[in-house]
Amino acid sequence: MDTPPDDRPIREPQPIAGPDALAALKAPAVEAVGLVWTYAGRSRPALDGLTFRLEPGRVLLVLGPSGSGKSTLARALAGLVPHVLPGRWQGSLRIGDLAVAETPARLLGDRVGLVFQDPDSQLVMARVDDEVAFGLENRAWARTAMTRRVSEALHEVGLDGFESRGTNTLSGGEKQRLAIADVLAPRPSLLVFDEPTANLDPPGMHATLDRLATLAGRREHTIVLIEHRLEAALPLADDVLLIDEAGRQLAFAPAGAVGREAAALLGRSGAWVPRAWEGRGSGDAHGPSPAVGEAAARGKPRAARPVVLQASELRIDYPADESGEHRALDGVSLTAVAGERIALVGPNGAGKSTLLFALAGLLRPDRGSVALGALPRDGEPVEELRDPARLRATEVAARVGLVFQDPELGFVAGTAQSEVEASDRAALPRRTWAGGAAAAGVLDDFGLGHLADESPFRLSQGEQRRLSLAATAMRPPAVLLLDEPTFGLDRRGTQAVMRLLDRLRSGGQAQLLATHDPRLLSDCDRVVALDLGRIVFDGPPGRFLADPPYSPPEPWRDGATEAAGEATPK
Amino acid sequence: MSLLPPPIGPVRPALLTRVTPVARLVAGLSWLVVSILTLDPTVPARLAVAAVLALVLWSGLPLRRIPGRLAPLGFAIVSLTVFSILLSGSNADRSLSALAELGPIRITAPAVSAGLAIGLRVVVIGLTTLLVFGPSDPTRMADSLVQQWHVPDRFAYGTLAAVRVAPFMAGDWTVISAARRLRGLQSGGVAGRIGDFGGKLMVMLVSAIRRAERLALAMDARGFDSGVRRTHFRELRVAPRDWLAIVVAWAVAAGALALSR
Repeated sequence: MDTPPDDRPIREPQPIAGPDALAALKAPAVEAVGLVWTYAGRSRPALDGLTFRLEPGRVLLVLGPSGSGKSTLARALAGLVPHVLPGRWQGSLRIGDLAVAETPARLLGDRVGLVFQDPDSQLVMARVDDEVAFGLENRAWARTAMTRRVSEALHEVGLDGFESRGTNTLSGGEKQRLAIADVLAPRPSLLVFDEPTANLDPPGMHATLDRLATLAGRREHTIVLIEHRLEAALPLADDVLLIDEAGRQLAFAPAGAVGREAAALLGRSGAWVPRAWEGRGSGDAHGPSPAVGEAAARGKPRAARPVVLQASELRIDYPADESGEHRALDGVSLTAVAGERIALVGPNGAGKSTLLFALAGLLRPDRGSVALGALPRDGEPVEELRDPARLRATEVAARVGLVFQDPELGFVAGTAQSEVEASDRAALPRRTWAGGAAAAGVLDDFGLGHLADESPFRLSQGEQRRLSLAATAMRPPAVLLLDEPTFGLDRRGTQAVMRLLDRLRSGGQAQLLATHDPRLLSDCDRVVALDLGRIVFDGPPGRFLADPPYSPPEPWRDGATEAAGEATPK
Repeated sequence: MSLLPPPIGPVRPALLTRVTPVARLVAGLSWLVVSILTLDPTVPARLAVAAVLALVLWSGLPLRRIPGRLAPLGFAIVSLTVFSILLSGSNADRSLSALAELGPIRITAPAVSAGLAIGLRVVVIGLTTLLVFGPSDPTRMADSLVQQWHVPDRFAYGTLAAVRVAPFMAGDWTVISAARRLRGLQSGGVAGRIGDFGGKLMVMLVSAIRRAERLALAMDARGFDSGVRRTHFRELRVAPRDWLAIVVAWAVAAGALALSR
């Protein structure tokens, strides 16, 4: 087989010869009628009655909370549902003149390209050019055509000259642009993006959204976009599809014509709602936590509160690689007082994770020192600051905790209840443990009471995040370090996490949040920005958002306008 | 965040990087077979010398990195050699004179010879593996297996994808260990440590399976193994130098064996 014919969508219908001409002229790019899909083994459908019609060359933005079936819709458009993943299908979904349920995945694959969220689990090959060619090889392209198309596709995403690079050496943004080149290469007519920027830092997200905007502007592809960076995504959209938490369609409309009621329903379903619709939607569509500005209400001024975290002149070198010495941290000094919440921001590779590991005593700094305090118990004064690397494990647990981006990796127990108990048991001498009543109470407080007997590994992403917080809440450490605490959460999930963090903070806990989410900044007392292992900014969020210290700053502007009025004055 | 050692590359173009991977596999096999079948320590010793020469002259690998890459094997080599010498049956043979005697421990010449043979065998295995797999990235090996040996796509490229995500599992392991340490959940004693290890392994397995599922889905979405006969972006052909590499390697193996007679 040679190069498949160029079957891009016909934006302005032209006469085509052949038997399919009539069908091709009349067919919309995507048409769903009463689409219902239930995964095998589930009682409730993931998609429950979607009906919409997308014309060729248009961009559809899909909005909905976690669990609304957005990813399932993406999988259905690519034919993975129902051809790869088992389940029950009702209604119809057509891509052009092909009915998804009746068309082999191989044929659908020629029409549809799907870009997933996680760049690291969608790249297959070790070299960039092999990676782009992979999809073409699968479709039996001739070698000469492949060679030409691989460079073209890389050019289309701005990765010219990357052919011989290793895929593992690329940055997150470069990986995601490579994933876009992968799906562009076979010239599909429909492109589906499932949260393509969720795993990226601001520069990577910026570069990826830029490519998306270019693709959308060219009108050569029909695009279905699932994206939670709404302020950047909404301007690209021609149509929007709103889905609620049970996979039911709330609305399908042109992007500029979403009704007040639909926007309100979307807000109530727990999803993020675009700022432009806020007037039409529920009142609290924005702001992750209702407790904004509460910092000032915690009584004592900063200077009067005890220091619980002190890092001075931290320097951590990684072994030199081919590119020369890479210094992971360079002269980083940081102090936090009880009850203070600090946002730690900066592009990937700036040293945020390294700093979190060093503060937790998991990495020995080459120079400098880390010291952590403990919270007062029963009116006793705060214990002296100690180096976590020199403490016994149970003493460390009282001073510092770390909630990882993937909470699952920290779980140790078979049920949510025993997960919370584990921390309590570990902190106490043998046989003095009083039983699980306290743990059950914490679970209830964190809204997980009904899941006490469920395996932690079976919980949703938001529930897992809350469970890992609950586990630290049993015996709250003086300093809680969090790596992307709201990653992948919808508005409801984000608010739930921030409310829990507020409660922990009210007990005097200092919190350090490494985050790419600009929406969280206004909820912090301070922003510390790292770049290339150095602190380039340390100050109030309002000032940071008004003038970010590194470029490209645009993605942060997403949160800038909304936070400007809310930032706590200092 | 990566706490892993950097990859062994970059590889500069060299004689062995131009030999097709399966030819390197067949060539390297000779040294493995010969060093495993013989009991004479001089045979693997000669092969080890040949392997070091080949690594230095023709592999294109950065030489500075090689000792570090072989370091994990060092422990195996030393302990295998020492225990083979100590536990050899010929030490009990009173008709042989002892090279050294310390209380109940008695060491004879045949024991030392057998121990060295075993240790040097592992040295040859390590060096040969580097010569076979080092000079090109794993993708070329998979291409070569599929195109020249007609290994099924699903097996070759599936394995390749697994190799690509292996470093992430090491990253997961770091995070899992860190999380447990910070929660004060490390058990003491041998039984406790074994239990901890099992628990960590289970969590890593869950994470690895989820990652594999996502990757498999992404591969399916790109039309992998959908019943079409795949074409090849990079066509590998067997060239005369591939045959030459095989012949030379087997000749060296035969020579090393012949010299011991």
